[in-house]
Amino acid sequence: MVPSGDDSSEGPARPVQLEQLLRRAATGDETAFAELYDAVSPRLFGLVRRVVRDPAQSEEVTQEVFLEIWRHSARFDPSKGAAMSWMLTIAHRKAVDRVRSAEAARNRDEGYGASNQDVTHDSTAEAVVERLDAERVHRALETLTPVQRQALEMAYLSGYTHTEVASMLDLPLGTAKTRIRDGLIRLRDTLGVTL
Amino acid sequence: MSEDIHALSGAYAVDALDEVERARFERHLAGCSACQTEVDSLVAAAHQLSALTEVAPPPSLRAKVLAEISTVRPLPPLEAPEPAEGSEQAEDSAADELAERRRARSGRGFGRGWRLVVAAATVAVLAIGGFTVWRQVSQDPQRVMADQVLAASDATRYGERLAGGATATVVRSSSLHRAVLITSGMAQPPAGKVFQLWLQDATGHMTSAGLMPGGGDQVVVLSGDATHSKGAGITVEPAGGSDQPTSNPIAFVAFA
Repeated sequence: MVPSGDDSSEGPARPVQLEQLLRRAATGDETAFAELYDAVSPRLFGLVRRVVRDPAQSEEVTQEVFLEIWRHSARFDPSKGAAMSWMLTIAHRKAVDRVRSAEAARNRDEGYGASNQDVTHDSTAEAVVERLDAERVHRALETLTPVQRQALEMAYLSGYTHTEVASMLDLPLGTAKTRIRDGLIRLRDTLGVTL
Repeated sequence: MSEDIHALSGAYAVDALDEVERARFERHLAGCSACQTEVDSLVAAAHQLSALTEVAPPPSLRAKVLAEISTVRPLPPLEAPEPAEGSEQAEDSAADELAERRRARSGRGFGRGWRLVVAAATVAVLAIGGFTVWRQVSQDPQRVMADQVLAASDATRYGERLAGGATATVVRSSSLHRAVLITSGMAQPPAGKVFQLWLQDATGHMTSAGLMPGGGDQVVVLSGDATHSKGAGITVEPAGGSDQPTSNPIAFVAFA
């Protein structure tokens, strides 16, 4: 699900390539899988890292994610969505599952300051890569209302449930899910997301 | 609560539902094509946010991942390859395809008893890379009951976290006298064994509440009246199940 709007050739890999790599991986082709890893690992690891926060646990989860992608590569169905979206779904679900387990939640709370700074101030060459994609998403997020944006970010990027989001943002019970949905619809329509 | 289940599509797309809501929504999703389309588009939109968080992993992770995958083979596909239309399964309808997947899933060396239980459950769970998709196979009382219990106004939830990150959650409705077990991420039972469900009464006695169709992610209505039960357990039993538990429960969810 690499945005197709801007044709920046430095995007991780074009969707078709990712699908081909997955298909080859499904036959046991480890070289193809290594290529796939190189193409998508910053996206997957970055998302897991953002949700899980603890660096060591983030690596563990990312490793589980890639193992799952490898094992299920033959079961990826391109008719149901793009390869990138499928892999991100696996990564996000695993990251959220991890962060919701009690211990991980504790680690996250304790480690919040340090890990968060880590991410923000990491200035090594391999740190956050600003791409056209990111700029487009930033701009699209600005079209959301502050509450929509906050609710969406807390749910997707921090892994909170909509009930938790409601209580943290002091929203009446049941309205956070509406904010999240409205925000996603706005994001989808602004970005012109296609499946 | 069931009247606005559609409104959960956004929270579902960003994994912001708890297990019970997720199970309920996935059941709804299986029969609501409008929601399916919406969810797919919202999932795609949500994943755009990952462009904001890109970070290269440490180089050591690459070596670990590649070393690990070389020790495991990819799973075979769930269905026949796409251009299989011309084969003997040409009349292959959606239902047949689902039945086929269900067989593929339940056929892991289980006996006929399993298949019956699986059929009775009316849903085939396709665990696709951690993303569970519920598909309705046919409308049947079990499924209807599970939906009713999960949506009941007096539904009460009890949870247990199991070894290896799996979870078992029981939702009980006293007004409906029934309890529903929702599992997530459970390993499969050993070859030749089955998972059997039990309801425990106030004296500690365990009564069989049926067999569970395998590990993974399941939603099963416990058979029997759960109104006064004190808890529910899962044990590993020989194929066909036992009259009484023959091993310690691998999971026990106390109704307290």
